[in-house]
Amino acid sequence: MTTETPPRIALPGGEMLAWSDLPERRLPDGGPLVALVARLVPAGARVLLAGPHDPALLDRLAHAEVTWLLRSLPDGVALAERAGGRSVGVLVGGPGGLPTGKTFDVVVAASGLDAVESVEGPRIGWDGLLERLAGVLAPGGTLLLRLDNPAGLTRMVSATPWYAGRGDAEWAVGGALDVGRPANLDQLRGRLAGVGLRPGGCFAAYPDAAAPTALVDVAALDGRPTSGLLDAMLHGACAGGHAGRPVLQDPARLAVDALHSGLAGALAPGWLALAHRAPADAGRPAGPGPAEPGGPGGPGGLPVALAQTGPPGLGVVEVTAATDGWRWRVADPVEPAAGAPFATREAAWRDPAAHTGPVPEGRLLRTVLLDACLRRDLDTLRRLLRGYADWLAGHADAAGRLAGATALASPDNVVVADTDVVVAGAAPAFAVLDASWRASDPWPVDVTLARGLWRFAAALATGGYAHPWSSTLDVAGLTVVLAGAAGHDLDRATVAAAVDAEAAVAAALRGLDGAARTALADELRAVEPTAPPPGSDSHQQLREAWLRQRAELTRLQALLRWTEDLLTSRERALRRADATINLLSGSLSYRVGRLAVTPARLARRGARAAKRRAADALRPRPTGEERR
Amino acid sequence: MHHANHFYGHAHVLARYCGLGDGHPPRINGYLQHGWNIGDGLAPGHPYVEGTPSLLWSEQTRRRAWSVGRRNVVVTGAPFGYLLSLRPEEPPAQEREGTIWYPFHGWEGQHVRGDHRELIARILDTEPGPVTVCLYWHEHRMRRVRRLYERAGFRVICHGYRGHWWSDTDPLFLDRQLTELRRHRRVASNRLTSAIFYGIAAGCEPAVYGDPMILADEDPTFGGTARIRRQWPELHGESVHLPTAVEIARAELGTDHRCTPAELRELLGWANLQEETR
Repeated sequence: MTTETPPRIALPGGEMLAWSDLPERRLPDGGPLVALVARLVPAGARVLLAGPHDPALLDRLAHAEVTWLLRSLPDGVALAERAGGRSVGVLVGGPGGLPTGKTFDVVVAASGLDAVESVEGPRIGWDGLLERLAGVLAPGGTLLLRLDNPAGLTRMVSATPWYAGRGDAEWAVGGALDVGRPANLDQLRGRLAGVGLRPGGCFAAYPDAAAPTALVDVAALDGRPTSGLLDAMLHGACAGGHAGRPVLQDPARLAVDALHSGLAGALAPGWLALAHRAPADAGRPAGPGPAEPGGPGGPGGLPVALAQTGPPGLGVVEVTAATDGWRWRVADPVEPAAGAPFATREAAWRDPAAHTGPVPEGRLLRTVLLDACLRRDLDTLRRLLRGYADWLAGHADAAGRLAGATALASPDNVVVADTDVVVAGAAPAFAVLDASWRASDPWPVDVTLARGLWRFAAALATGGYAHPWSSTLDVAGLTVVLAGAAGHDLDRATVAAAVDAEAAVAAALRGLDGAARTALADELRAVEPTAPPPGSDSHQQLREAWLRQRAELTRLQALLRWTEDLLTSRERALRRADATINLLSGSLSYRVGRLAVTPARLARRGARAAKRRAADALRPRPTGEERR
Repeated sequence: MHHANHFYGHAHVLARYCGLGDGHPPRINGYLQHGWNIGDGLAPGHPYVEGTPSLLWSEQTRRRAWSVGRRNVVVTGAPFGYLLSLRPEEPPAQEREGTIWYPFHGWEGQHVRGDHRELIARILDTEPGPVTVCLYWHEHRMRRVRRLYERAGFRVICHGYRGHWWSDTDPLFLDRQLTELRRHRRVASNRLTSAIFYGIAAGCEPAVYGDPMILADEDPTFGGTARIRRQWPELHGESVHLPTAVEIARAELGTDHRCTPAELRELLGWANLQEETR
C-alpha cells in the first residue's frame, strides 16, 4: 500500500492504513443529517467533523471553516481530493491527533464516538473521547453527538443479536452492559454535564442511527404521541428502512406503537444530542442557542423534524414550529416540476411548493381505522369510512373526478382532525397530510376511494391484523366490504383499476423503470391475505402468514369433508327419487295414461315439424352476393 | 349451502337484495343466523363446519359467539332488514288496525306444552282491537289448535312453510310476514322472539305477555326464558315504551350493520358466481 499523502492531510499519529469508514449506503445529498448539520453551523464558524460523515457535508458547509478528523487514511485521501481547492483541514489519526490550543464553534460527531477511536495507540474509552471533544469546543460552541441506543428499535427487531458481532468494525462490542458509556438519554445528559457542557435538545434517529431518513425532536415525540405527522413519518422511515433485511418483527408497527406509548424517543435506534458550552461573554454570537427539552419548537430553533421521503433528488422536508402550530419547509428548494408530469407521463409527481403551509393536525386515518378494526368497533369504522368517502366526494368536480393531492389521499396520508369529535358521533374532519404528491391526471373518485381502501385492506390482511370480517375474503373482497362500510357500492372492476393506479403511483414514488414497474404491478395484483406483506422479511409476519395458511387449509379440508357427506346424502335422495319415478312409470295407471296421451303427443310433434317446414319455405332466400 | 340458510326464504331475500333476481339463490359461503337467538346465533344441534363464516344479526351476538369459541363471525344484520330495504314503507292499503299475535312455537322436532285456552283468555282481556293469530305451520296444520283460536273469534293465519332440506321453502315467507305486520298496529307474543323484533321494525307497538309455555327438550345452555326476561325486561309487558323498543330492535336486528349489495355479495361468497350456480 502506498503511504504517499497529499500535502493537505496531516498525520498526527494513530492513522489506520487498511481501513475505510465511509458509509457504503448514502442518502441523496446526505439526507436529513446533513441538512441538520447545515442548519446548525452559522456562516464563518469553525467546524470540527470528528469521525466519518457523508462527504456531501463538505458541499453543505461551504460557508464554514472545516477541519475533519478521520482515522482512515484512504478516507482522508478521498476527502482531500473531493475538497479540491477548498481549504479543508484533514487530520488522519486517533483522537490524540486533535490540535492542542485550537477550538471550534461547532463539533460534529454524528457517527458516534467509537468511530473516532483508532485501533492504533492506547484506548481512551467513550468518556475519554467525549472529554477530548468537549475540550476543543469553544465558549458558546455547540456539540452534536450521536449515541446508538443499546435497547433501541433496531436492536429489538434485528434478526442478529447485537452481542454476536463478528464484523471488521467490531474489534470491541459495546452495549448496555458497558457502564463506561451512557445507555440512555438521561445518562447521556449526565455525561455531557460532567464535561462542563449544557445538554440541549435531542433528535431521535429513525430507522437506523447510521443512516437516518427521519430525525425527530425527542421532546416532540414525547409530547405529541398521537400526532398523525409523526405517526406517518416514523412508519414511513421504518417500513422503507428495513426492506430487504430480515427482521424479527415489523419495525414500522413497533415504532408507531412506541410513539403512542410515549416511548418513541426512548426506543429510537439512536439519538443526535446537542450540547453547548457556556459563552465566555454574553455578547459573543454563537451557533443556535440551547433550548430546554420539552419546549414548543425544535431544539434551539432547529426544525422539529427532518425527513427524506420519495425518490432521490427531492431534498429533505423539514417541519418547523411556529406559534400557530407546525409548518412545512423544504430545506433545499427544488425547481417546480410543472413540466415533468407531461414530459414523463408519470402517474404522480411531486410539487415541493406544497411544503410551505401548516401541517394538518390530527391522528393518522390508517391508525384510527386499524384501532377500530382491532376493537371490532363497526360503528366507528362506518362513521370514519363514510366520513372519508364523503370527504373525497366533496372534493370531486362536476364529472366526479379528483385532481391533485386529493386524488392520492389514502388513509396513510390523511389525518382525522379531532378524535374526540369522531367518538362523540359528529362528522369527522379530514385533511391530506403531505399534499406535495399529486396525481398527474384527474382520477374518478371511486378509483381514489378504492385505491385508499385497497392499500388499507392489503396492510390489514397481510399484516395479520384482527378485523371484524371473515378470513375467507380476499384483498379485493375486503376492499369492497370496506367500501360498503363507507356506504359505497364498489365493483371488482373498480378495485382492479385502483390496483393498477396504485402500481403506477408506487412506481412514480420510487422512481422505478419499465421492468421493475411491471414486476411491481404483478406483485400487487397477486397480494393474498394468507401471504406476508409484500417486500417484508419479518419472522413474526412470516409465522403469522403460515398460521393463516394453515387455518385456511383446515377450513377447506373440513368444508370438503362436509361437502362429500352432503353429496353422499343428496345422491342417496336422488336414488330414492329415481326409484319412485321408476316405480310409478311401471304402474298400470301410468301405462294406461301414457297410452292415452300418445296420439296427442304424436300429433303435436307432427304439427311442429310442419310449421318448421312452412317457415323454411317462406323465408326469403339469400342472393348469390349475400351468400358470399 | 347449509339447508338452514333457506329457512323462511332468507337466502331468497338476500339474493333479491344483491340483484340476483327471484330465482334459486346461489350457495352461501357461511351460515345465516335464521332467527333471533340468545346464544351464538346458530341453531343448537345443527352440524357446522369449523371455520365457515357465521353471518350474524347483531354485534352483541357476534361477541357472544366469539366468547363461546366461534370464529369467522361477521355481523351482517337480519335478512328481514334487507327486506325492509327492498320494500320501504309502502302506502298503506288500509289503516293499521288491531294486533297480530304470535303464540310461541317450537319447531318440528319439539313440542310446546302449555294451555292455549288460558292464553286466548288473556289475549281477549288485553287486546283492544281485532286480533290476528299467526300460527307456526306446524301448529296451523294441527286442526285442534287452529280451531281453538278460530272459535275465540280470531283471524288465524300462517306465513308459510319455512322449508326443510332445501324442499318446499316458501321464498315469500318474510314478504308475507311483513305485509301482515304492516296491517296491524300491535305485535304481541308470549315470548320475546324474532316476530316481535320484526314487528317493531315494521312499525308495530310490541307486547310480550302471557304464559311463555314450555318447550319440550328446551336447551338451557344460554339461560332460556328466564334470562330473556332478565336481559330485556323493557320489552316485556302488555305495553312497553316504544322508543326503547325501537332502539333495542335496531340493535338486535343489526339494522345499522346492513351491508350494501356489493359488500353482501362478497360476504356471502357471491362475488364470483359461475353461471350454472345462479
